[in-house]
Amino acid sequence: MQLVIASGKGGVGKSTVTASLLYLLKDEYRFVAVDADADAPNLDLLLGVERWEEERELIGAKVARINTESCIRCGICQERCPYDCIKVIDGDYVVSELTCEGCNVCGLVCPVPGTITLEEVRSGVVRKTTTRYGFPLISAQLDVGRPNSGKLVTEEKEWAKKLMGELGLEHMIVDSAAGIGCQVIASIGGADLTILVAEPTPASLSDVQRAYKVVQHFRQPAYLIINKADLNPGFTALREWAEAEGIPILGEIPYDRAIPRSMSMLKPFVEAFPDSKAADAMREIAEKVREEILR
Amino acid sequence: MQIAVSGGKGGTGKSTVAINLAIALGEHYDLALADLDVEAPNDHLLLGVELSNEEPVELFMPRFDYSKCTRCRKCAEVCEEHAIITMRDGTPFLMPNLCSGCAACEIVCPVPGAILPGKKLMGHTYLTETPYGFPLVTGKLLEGEERAMPIVSRAKKRAQALGKELLLVDTAAGTSNTVSKALEDSRLIIAVTEPTPLGIHDGELILRLAKLMDIPAMVVVNRSDLGDVGRVREIAERYGAEVIAEIPYSENVIRSYVEGKPIVLSDYPEAGIFREIASRVVEFLGGGE
Ligand code: SF4
Ligand code: SF4
Ligand code: SF4
Ligand code: SF4
Repeated sequence: MQLVIASGKGGVGKSTVTASLLYLLKDEYRFVAVDADADAPNLDLLLGVERWEEERELIGAKVARINTESCIRCGICQERCPYDCIKVIDGDYVVSELTCEGCNVCGLVCPVPGTITLEEVRSGVVRKTTTRYGFPLISAQLDVGRPNSGKLVTEEKEWAKKLMGELGLEHMIVDSAAGIGCQVIASIGGADLTILVAEPTPASLSDVQRAYKVVQHFRQPAYLIINKADLNPGFTALREWAEAEGIPILGEIPYDRAIPRSMSMLKPFVEAFPDSKAADAMREIAEKVREEILR
Repeated sequence: MQIAVSGGKGGTGKSTVAINLAIALGEHYDLALADLDVEAPNDHLLLGVELSNEEPVELFMPRFDYSKCTRCRKCAEVCEEHAIITMRDGTPFLMPNLCSGCAACEIVCPVPGAILPGKKLMGHTYLTETPYGFPLVTGKLLEGEERAMPIVSRAKKRAQALGKELLLVDTAAGTSNTVSKALEDSRLIIAVTEPTPLGIHDGELILRLAKLMDIPAMVVVNRSDLGDVGRVREIAERYGAEVIAEIPYSENVIRSYVEGKPIVLSDYPEAGIFREIASRVVEFLGGGE
């Protein structure tokens, strides 16, 4: 089974919840974990990973380059670039590598053949390790300024699938990126179900509703975990929304200082502070995941 | 002139800093705030306003007129996104989800009228007046659409068109090219980070991006009592940036966040920290009244 953990936005504790869930499931199930937030991966840090066993470069992004020698400075490329990525610097037309989407429109409209070329550049790395808890982790890191395409995530999931075959694993657990863009779509697409993590604030509710629309788009069941549940007692809209949509709530984790402290220790909080309130709640959630999801 | 608030990772309090800074800077400049975190825009929620003046962001999408198309496949060959597939006889078909709207296919098609300019809706931009004396421009990507770039670039243009003395941009988390697009043209980046290992790791990435873009950066450490601010200082120094403020973890900040009442306008002691950040920015930019 392929399950995804998503939140619509960072900062609600999705990765800390994921790390603890993985920790609690590790003895009973054989799975591979995938950190699909290639823009800001952190599951490796939360699981205390110190080195990668294998790393693959992903060449796939493209950026345009302008040859200033043959350029006649007509400005057509700048006019036609759909994303405003061409600037004039000291009289030369220059592509901003950090924003170019690699669509090649500039190359097509340039009247001087060969002046604009599309070059392949590295978009990032995909990497694998075995965590100290025994299960493998696939992660990725997008290079600074590259298009945030779903390709890295697709690559990660393919690697994870291969690994499942080789090692005879039953499940793939994907920690999705923040937001609702291509990485999230690549994470949720093809999965069996999504567990949403949200906190009781208007911002988090709005974000998780947007993520849920992506889940619905793929016609998958969704579950909800409420984190920092006691943060905002007057705010009931998150719970009401879940009930109205028929999204089962797997549990509520109270705000607990043990969580930020465990993060600095680079350990899942259920491992670092097994006696904390948050750990109790997390164990109940893991129990429900066993009974209702993984069975 | 433009400045940006950015943060390596989500949830570091970037939007909280952005809206409070906007309010504090409003005393010095005629400004606009642009929320370019288009996958999860939240500044309006923190400011307690409803988005208004919606404008659609539509992108070009090819429509084929098969009575004219000669099945030459040129459109499919040129599409970098592989959004056009061709049948064995060369008939082109579009997979709309992959299309980026760049119009390259239309440019190369040798038959006038074979490719018609269809449109698809990618999201919206909004222009909302706030009770704090400055307008908020928001970009919002439609759920299920993958491409944030067009929304970021359109929302930014809409904000620039207001012609304000200062544009304060709130970017998405991370360091992808949509973040670079939001940061572009900034005179200063305020990087919001946390002193946890995760925050430090991601904070370093945003400083690296600032350096690559040749934009000076200042660092604001949020939840500063939850980790080692010394480590943040070390890294900031390595990138020639200065830590200008530390905001301790505070129930007051959370309360004001939850209530949609900006803390800078409260009597809580944290209000002073945001004023201090604002005065550092004013000092750096010069001018203002
Ligand atoms: S490849 Fe596309 S995005 Fe890049 S500069 Fe050319 S037209 Fe602009
Ligand atoms: S279109 Fe070609 S020749 Fe004209 S400015 Fe751009 S690169 Fe130079
Ligand atoms: S508009 Fe661009 S991305 Fe869309 S089909 Fe045409 S070439 Fe491909
Ligand atoms: S380039 Fe124009 S004529 Fe050629 S296959 Fe595409 S639509 Fe048809």
